[in-house]
Amino acid sequence: MVFAIFSVFTLLTAAGVILSRNVIYSALNLVLCFFGLATLYLLWGATFISMIQILIYAGAIVVLFVFVVMLLNFEKPIDQSVKLPLMLLSGAGAWGLAFLLLRVLSKSVGEIPILESNSGASVRTVSKLLFSQYVWPFEVLTIFLLALIVGIYVLAKPEGEEKK
Amino acid sequence: MILSEKLASIGYWTHFVTVALFALGLIGFLIRRNALIVLMSLELMLNAVNLLLVQISMRTGTSEGMVLVVFVITIAAAEVAVGLGIILNLYRMKKTVDLDSFRSLSG
Repeated sequence: MVFAIFSVFTLLTAAGVILSRNVIYSALNLVLCFFGLATLYLLWGATFISMIQILIYAGAIVVLFVFVVMLLNFEKPIDQSVKLPLMLLSGAGAWGLAFLLLRVLSKSVGEIPILESNSGASVRTVSKLLFSQYVWPFEVLTIFLLALIVGIYVLAKPEGEEKK
Repeated sequence: MILSEKLASIGYWTHFVTVALFALGLIGFLIRRNALIVLMSLELMLNAVNLLLVQISMRTGTSEGMVLVVFVITIAAAEVAVGLGIILNLYRMKKTVDLDSFRSLSG
């Protein structure tokens, strides 16, 4: 029952993200959606992922979004009108894909028997795996993040600064 | 109620949330013209995948799904940082973030 409530909450806020006229309301809905998802992870028993979700998604990513929204002051309002055929086509396509995925998931993932006692979600097991078997992907990811920092600096610095 | 019965009752709800979240993200990606909202829709789709990975990981009792979710979250943060940098540059060029106004490759 709690799970159903939070599922509906997550979906409603996700709909709010894509339907809001104002970008700042979209960002607010995105925070609420991430909190709803964190609750779903918690109800599944994945406490570590739940905390990561709140810290990184709701804490860092949405702050980036809000920061950029505050930085840009929209002088020209964006044309919000949606072409009806396009909307119908994308809606039908997306929901058709969703229906297909639902059938596939309930046939494949839904058939996996659920374990009685599950210790796979604790911080201990996840970090053990992360630093033993998956240590090379982890290191590649750190190099990638370093390249990312340099790349974003080059991308976002004001024009004309390289002449100095 | 024992844990497995509880999880079986929420299994269907999780499938529903996964596919509906993915569909909402896809619709937002296709119909919105504000570049920021398009990026947010991408986040919604990535979160749908994360929810599925967590569910599979918790069902099978392995931690590989969790490790994958950690990687996905890191890549998502990187993608948002790059995307917002590009949007800032585009805004400097055209003074708008309307995706329909970016028509030429050379600026």
